[in-house]
Amino acid sequence: MTIMNAIIFSWEYPPRIVGQLANHVRELAAQLVRNSVGIYVVTYHDYLTEQYNETDGVKTYRVVNPVRTHIGVLTWVLTLNQEVERAAANIYYSVNKHVDVIDVYDWHFIPAAVTLKKALNIPFIYSVESLEEHRSHGANSPFNMAIKSIEWLGMYEAARLIVKSEWMRDETYRVYKVPMEKMQVIPSKSANWTKRILETYKDVTEGANPK
Amino acid sequence: MTRDLTVIMLSWEFPPRIIGGISPHVYYLSKSLAKNGMKVYVVTCDFPGAPQHEVVDGMEVFRMDSYKNPSPDFATWVYLMNVNMQKETAALVNDLGNKVDVFHAHDWLVATAGIGLKHTFRKPLLATMHSTEIGRRNGIHFDYEKMIHETEAWLTYEAWRVICCSDYMVSHVRWAFGLPGDKLSMVPNGVNTEVYEKAENENLGQFRSKFAMPEEKIVLFVGRLVYEKGAHVFVNAVPKVLGKANAKFIIVGNGYMKEQLSSLVRGMGLAHKVLFTGFVDDDTLRKLQKCADVCVVPSLFEPFGIVALEAMAAKSPVVVSDTGGLSEIVEHDVTGVKVYVNNPDSLAWGITKVLLDDAYANLIRKNAYKKVQEKYNWSKIAQQTKGIYEAVLGEYSKSFWA
Repeated sequence: MTIMNAIIFSWEYPPRIVGQLANHVRELAAQLVRNSVGIYVVTYHDYLTEQYNETDGVKTYRVVNPVRTHIGVLTWVLTLNQEVERAAANIYYSVNKHVDVIDVYDWHFIPAAVTLKKALNIPFIYSVESLEEHRSHGANSPFNMAIKSIEWLGMYEAARLIVKSEWMRDETYRVYKVPMEKMQVIPSKSANWTKRILETYKDVTEGANPK
Repeated sequence: MTRDLTVIMLSWEFPPRIIGGISPHVYYLSKSLAKNGMKVYVVTCDFPGAPQHEVVDGMEVFRMDSYKNPSPDFATWVYLMNVNMQKETAALVNDLGNKVDVFHAHDWLVATAGIGLKHTFRKPLLATMHSTEIGRRNGIHFDYEKMIHETEAWLTYEAWRVICCSDYMVSHVRWAFGLPGDKLSMVPNGVNTEVYEKAENENLGQFRSKFAMPEEKIVLFVGRLVYEKGAHVFVNAVPKVLGKANAKFIIVGNGYMKEQLSSLVRGMGLAHKVLFTGFVDDDTLRKLQKCADVCVVPSLFEPFGIVALEAMAAKSPVVVSDTGGLSEIVEHDVTGVKVYVNNPDSLAWGITKVLLDDAYANLIRKNAYKKVQEKYNWSKIAQQTKGIYEAVLGEYSKSFWA
C-alpha cells in the first residue's frame, strides 16, 4: 500500500553518474519507497542503460532525445524535455492519474514540470542543486540568461523549493527574490533528511501553506 | 456530438504579426473553420499593440509571451518560445475542462509545443508542413540545419496526419521524412476572392493612369527580387515583348537583386517601359492586380505560388513557369499559360500571346476565376480540413487513448 505517488526528474541517475546528484537521488528514491511512497524516476538514457528497470522498488524510465544533432546544451535540453514530459504523462495515465507531486532536480527539466502542472494540476518541488549565477560566475551572455530564465520560471511555478544549505537559501533569495518561507533547507545526509523531504512532499500534496 | 468540434491552432505568426505565409493561412483557415461550425482557438506569439486575448471573426486568439529574454540563436529562441506556448496552451485546455479535440501545429516552429500537448492531454496532433529546411536550404549542410530537419521529422512522426498545400509538397515531404503515403493529405492553400470583389465596381481609370499610358497594356510581376523568383527572366523578356506589343512592365517587391535589375533595364534603354514600385500596401497591390492585362510568375523554384492564385482571383490572366506548385495551379491554355523555366524567349511568347489575343485572354481569365472559386476557396478548404479532423477522430476513438 502506497501513501502517495511521486515522480522525480533528474538528468543524472545511476549508472549514469556525472556528479554527486545521481547517488543522492538514488538513495532518496530507495528511502521513500521504504516509506510507502510510489517512486518513479525519469532520467536521460544513453547506450549503457536500459529504457526501463526496477531496482529497490524504484521504477526508472530513461528517455532518449529524438533530435540527435544539436548546436548546444540548450537545444538538447529543451527538446529532451518533451520526452521527459511524455514519460511522465504515460506514468500519470498508467496509475489512474494519481500522481501527487513531481520533484525536479535542477533546471534541466523545469519546462516539462511546468507544463505538467498547468495541464494535469500536478504540483512540483524544485530541488536546487546549484544556480547558473554561481556556475557561470555572473556571466550574462544570452546563453546564461536563457538558463537563468528557466531557473526563474521553475522558482516562480514551484510549490516549494528544497535547498541544501542556508547559504544556498540566502543566495536564491538574493538572486531570484524567492520568498524565504517558500524554501526548505534540508542538508543532504543530515538527520532525518529523507523524512523531511517526505514531509515536504506531503505538505505540497495537501496544499499546505509554507511554514 | 453534443458540442462543436474544437481545435487549438498553434502558430508562431498570426495577424497583425506577419512574417511569411503562415500568418494569413492560419487566419483564413481558422476563420473558415469557425464559419463551418467549429470552435477554434489560436495560440500565437504576442505583438506590440495586439491584445493578449481577443475574439476575431468567430475564433478566440491568445497571444502569449514569445520569450523576449536574449537567446543565443534563432533556433534556441524557437524552443524557448515553445516552452511558453506549451505552458499557456496547457492552462487554456485545463480551463476549458479538457474539451479540446485536436491540436494543429503549423511548421517546426511550434513542433515541441504540439508534441508536448499531444502527450500530456492524449489528444491527436495534426501538422501542416508549409516548407522544409531541406527545401529552403537546397540540402542539409550544417548541424544547425540538421537539427531543424530532425525536429521537422519528429513533428511529422508524432503527427497523426500531415497536411501539405500542394501535390508537389506532399511528394517532397514524403521523400524528406520517409513518411507512409496514407499519413499525408493535400489541402490546397486558399485565396480570398472577397477582397477583389469589393474593388469590382471601383473606377480604376485614374489609378491606372498613375502607372501606364492609356495605350499601354500592363504586365505585372509581384515577388521578392531574389534569384529563385526569376525577376531577371522577366526583365530579359521585356524587349522581346515590346517588339510585338506596347506595354508597361511593373515590378512590385524588393530584394537584393533590385539594383542589378534596374541597371539591366537602363542598359537596355527601357527605363521608361519598366517601373519598379518597391513594396506597396495591400490596397494598391490589389488594384494593380485588377488593372493588369497579364500577371507573370517566372519563378525558378516555387513550393506553392500564392501570387498566381491572387492574380487569378483578381481576374487577371496569368503566365507562369512550369515548376513546383505553379505546375499544379495552372492548366495550360485553360486557366493560364505555362512557359519553360528560366527561358526569356518562352516567357515573352506567353506574355505576347495573352496581350495580342483578347478572346484567349478572356477565356483563361474566366476559367481561372472559376477554378479559384471551386478549388482554392477557403470555405471548401475548411470543409476538407474538418473532414480530416473527423477522420482522425474516428481513428482516435478506437485507440486506447480515447
